[in-house]
Amino acid sequence: MSSGRRWAGGLAIAAAFIWSAWSTEVSLGRLVEGIPFMLDFIGRMLPPDPRVLGQALRGALQTLQIAVAGTAVGAVLALPVAFAGARNTSPRWAFYWTRSALNAFRAIDTLVYALFFVAAVGLGPFPGVLAVVVYTATVLAKLYSEAIEAMDPGPVEAVEAVGATRLQVLRWGVVPQLLPQFLSFTLYRFETNIRAATVLGFVGAGGIGFYIQTHLRLMNYPAASTVLLVLVAMVMLVDFASSRLRARLV
Amino acid sequence: MIQVRDLFKRYPSGTVALDGVSLDVAAGEFVALIGSSGAGKSTFLRCLNGLVTPTAGHVSVDGREVTGASRSGLRGVRASVGFVFQQFNLLKRLSVLHNVLVGTLSRVDMWRSLLGRFPGGELDRARRTLGRVGLAGLDDRRADTLSGGQQQRVAIARALVQEPRVLLADEPMSSLDPASSRAVMELLQDINREDGLTVIASLHVLDLAVTYGRRIVGLRAGRVVHDGSSAGLTQAAAEAIFGGEPL
Repeated sequence: MSSGRRWAGGLAIAAAFIWSAWSTEVSLGRLVEGIPFMLDFIGRMLPPDPRVLGQALRGALQTLQIAVAGTAVGAVLALPVAFAGARNTSPRWAFYWTRSALNAFRAIDTLVYALFFVAAVGLGPFPGVLAVVVYTATVLAKLYSEAIEAMDPGPVEAVEAVGATRLQVLRWGVVPQLLPQFLSFTLYRFETNIRAATVLGFVGAGGIGFYIQTHLRLMNYPAASTVLLVLVAMVMLVDFASSRLRARLV
Repeated sequence: MIQVRDLFKRYPSGTVALDGVSLDVAAGEFVALIGSSGAGKSTFLRCLNGLVTPTAGHVSVDGREVTGASRSGLRGVRASVGFVFQQFNLLKRLSVLHNVLVGTLSRVDMWRSLLGRFPGGELDRARRTLGRVGLAGLDDRRADTLSGGQQQRVAIARALVQEPRVLLADEPMSSLDPASSRAVMELLQDINREDGLTVIASLHVLDLAVTYGRRIVGLRAGRVVHDGSSAGLTQAAAEAIFGGEPL
């Protein structure tokens, strides 16, 4: 790259930053002024209120359940879509439309789907599960289809060459190559879904988020901090267990 | 055993890989198929078991039609033809034994094979075959933990356990070091002599072809330019095959 173009690029980035910061009213002064309020906020959260521990644990459990159910159903739905969306297993037009549809669906976040499903089926964890299902299915379909595209065609050809049927080729040539990767992607998605599910309660779609929002709104900060601590512990625990499991898959 | 008539293959890209190949191979022959890369060796071998469908021409193996065969007819042909690949094409994460058991898929009950429940007789046969290729005791090792030479032996065991009439080997040693190459070629030679299996091995190294092939067929630009005994391979013939490139 010429130094002139580099200068122009740098200038453009700087201009974009200044324009964005100005538009969003970024102000170091206001941040500094806010520091005492933040300290006050944290101070009022301490000590955590142990009386809401049971409630927090129940909320955490429900969040976990939303993530488990949503990830499982989403993964199953993603399977056929992934083969339709892989260049090497799908006709060109089907590949094109599947990928485009997946990109469109994936542009919408789990929380937005939750709002939609709360309106459709009412409050509670069920719309939360549905939201996780839709988002997970679209994300995993994309990841799965990339794994399908990266598959080594050699072993598949070798299983065909022994006179195996199509199902046998799938079972012995394709599945052994894809299964470990699919499981790994699914576990990773499960970790992310736990985090996504913690805020579903903000829109009435179940889980621990409901308690966070309620206690903050009622300015019951010690209770809110108990719930937040439970949430942090749960997320860390799941991340730890899941990443250990993923490491063994590869 | 193998009859090939006027085989012609043009790929969708426009490349003509085979340009009128006719060849007869008798039962029990060991044919070394030589030619530089791109001469059509791989395409030729893949036409023999239907992995590639020729544009025109005729192939029959062991009295069965390959060209124009139905899906199940083709499976029957493939079951009686072992194929060994340059890149071994093993399932890397599966055990050595399971890779060999893949060779039994055309025989075992479909549903049992999908569940991975292979009959005891086939398990015994797979273990015996592993012993035969010098890999006894490595049954439970993951395929990708073996050396290249060992992996190619697993691939040969997978082909042998099919109990085929014909063994096709597509550059079986070009991913291997010289010592492993010789070991693999000697194994193929043993199989040819002891079991009477018809073997066609494509090779791009002339001295291996002369050492192991009793008959040498030279391909160049999709045509047979040489067909004769290894003893009769002259410098002139070699130049005709490889186009005067330094050998």
